[in-house]
Amino acid sequence: MIDDSRPIFLQIAEMIENDIVDGVLAEEAQVPSTNEFAAFHRINPATAAKGVNRLVDDGILYKKRGIGMFVAAGARSVLIGRRREDFYEQFLRPMAREACKLGIDNQQLLTMLGRVAATESDAPAAMEKEGVQ
Amino acid sequence: MSTAIVEVSNLSRVYRDVTALDGVSLTLERDKIYGLLGRNGAGKTTLMSILTAQGFASSGEVRVFGEHPYENEQVLSRLCFIRESQKYPDDFKPIHAFKAAALFYQNWDHALAAQLAQDFALPMKRRIKKLSRGQLSAVGVIIGLASRAELTFFDEPYLGLDAVARQLFYDRLLADYAEFPRTIVLSSHLIDEVANLLEHVIIIDQGRILVDDDADNIRGSAVSIAGPAHLVESFAAGRAVLHRESIGALLALTLDGALTAAERREAQELGLELAPVSLQQIVIRKTLDAGASLGSDGSFEDPTDIERKETQMGASR
Amino acid sequence: MNRALGVAKMQLINKWTFLGIPAIILGSAFALTLAIWAMLPASAVTGIKYSGAGQAVMWYFFALGIQSLTLTFPFAQGLSVSRRNFFLGTVGLFTVVAAGVAALYVVLGQLELRSNGWGMNGRIFALQWVADQPWFVQLFFYFVLMMFLFLLGFWGATLYKRWQATGLLVSGLSLALILVAAFGLITWQGSWAQVGSWIVSLTPLSLGVVALGLSAALGVGAFLTLRRATP
Repeated sequence: MIDDSRPIFLQIAEMIENDIVDGVLAEEAQVPSTNEFAAFHRINPATAAKGVNRLVDDGILYKKRGIGMFVAAGARSVLIGRRREDFYEQFLRPMAREACKLGIDNQQLLTMLGRVAATESDAPAAMEKEGVQ
Repeated sequence: MSTAIVEVSNLSRVYRDVTALDGVSLTLERDKIYGLLGRNGAGKTTLMSILTAQGFASSGEVRVFGEHPYENEQVLSRLCFIRESQKYPDDFKPIHAFKAAALFYQNWDHALAAQLAQDFALPMKRRIKKLSRGQLSAVGVIIGLASRAELTFFDEPYLGLDAVARQLFYDRLLADYAEFPRTIVLSSHLIDEVANLLEHVIIIDQGRILVDDDADNIRGSAVSIAGPAHLVESFAAGRAVLHRESIGALLALTLDGALTAAERREAQELGLELAPVSLQQIVIRKTLDAGASLGSDGSFEDPTDIERKETQMGASR
Repeated sequence: MNRALGVAKMQLINKWTFLGIPAIILGSAFALTLAIWAMLPASAVTGIKYSGAGQAVMWYFFALGIQSLTLTFPFAQGLSVSRRNFFLGTVGLFTVVAAGVAALYVVLGQLELRSNGWGMNGRIFALQWVADQPWFVQLFFYFVLMMFLFLLGFWGATLYKRWQATGLLVSGLSLALILVAAFGLITWQGSWAQVGSWIVSLTPLSLGVVALGLSAALGVGAFLTLRRATP
């Protein structure tokens, strides 16, 4: 849900991105209107529109005049590509830092990751192989 | 794209020895929802009164739809301002008040008024004098919404309404605004409740504008940071501190201005705790802060003095 | 739609205030007076029986002048009606009501005379001093009298709205001062005899003209005061 940490339009944009990445919003699927977003999240319609327009400018969504907003073809892979970049900053660095603090060396870390991959059947092992950066 | 429909420059209002508005300048643009936020007695109602020509300025310029609103039907017919302490004719029932409003607002939506009255469980045929505070607020809210005036002011519209009714008002406001965009000014001191509805925020304190910015620019414009005192201090060195609180060796600061990604990382590496600051918290910090700094340079009386004068001001009206 | 007309319509939304209550006051005062007369033993009164019941409605209009300002003005402001249109609509409506009531008085006065004072030789409406005049003078007199009472209440309420109790006090005191000064002047000039004969010589027409002048002054005063009044 909406929180106070960042501008709401960014949060709306991210929610839509999440839905695209998760496959909730398929490519070429219609996105709810800004008024629907506004009513659902109880936010200002102009703010919701700003979030949606950000994704339009970004090429993630596109407008069909008089009909509405749709997810662009290829949007999902673009977003996933970007998120992999973020993955390093947001997850790996803090993880490495914490591991260092706890005296976990790289070898142990890899073993642990293997254990996670084994239990999380859904976790795509591909991510490890492709690596990040 | 957006055009200014209200232009105010250097507006002041002095009641004998109380300055209710002190050199206010602002612009309101078409089809936006504004929050006019501030403490009781900050000057919100005085400002709205002058914009709607119900009150008078001591000095300064006001333009609404490009003209002065005083005795100007062209302008007035496009405004709606039901004040928090609105008086109604003694013998009026809600249904009378709505009929009266329908006489003056060409966009009046009777069906919407009837629907809202039902939603708020407003007894249409009970004398307004005998309504509860919440029902009285509902009458004002319904007139404000159903009038569909191009510029509508809501003055503390939630007084006496319970949480469910308030949510109903916010939802109806958003829905009707989405369908019929217009300029709405929501005066409030329950800031957290309305924060997400606002596109633009004007914070007023002691008759002066403290903040006039897009809501999304303000959101995240302050950050709360907590941790061991020496680490917090060194991190915060050179930054504007809005508020400080400490327990033992722990220190929590509210810093003005957003953190960059690098600063965020730095704080995390130092093991400091970062937390968002709500719009309400920002308003409280800024108004308290302003009060303190104004008091220290001697240009303003101390807060208790101001409060005393506010009650005088209320009595003299 | 003309917004001044809207104000008049707004004042009439609750029909009781401007129409229902005056009708009830008039009707009940009338009925009560007749009932009292009917109960009087014939020997108790000889000649014509007079009653002040007819005035009751006029005093109600004085109160209405106050009320139509104190509560309706703030509401009209909330609905973004200009002060000018509020004044025009309210005073305009009252002009129509006053004309209607004045006509009613003339008609009831005629009925009273023709029915031998409702069959009981009573006088409620056709008070001799006025009833001796032609009908149009009667109409004018009643009309002006009601306008005067209404505007007196209306301006008084406006003064209160604008300056609260201080406003009423100051204007009351100044009025008293003017009267005292006038009395002093008359005494000093030794012209009480002339004043007395002037009062005696007043006819409904000349008194009506004086009241008309005063009403106009009250109306202008009320408008100028209202121009800067806040709800």
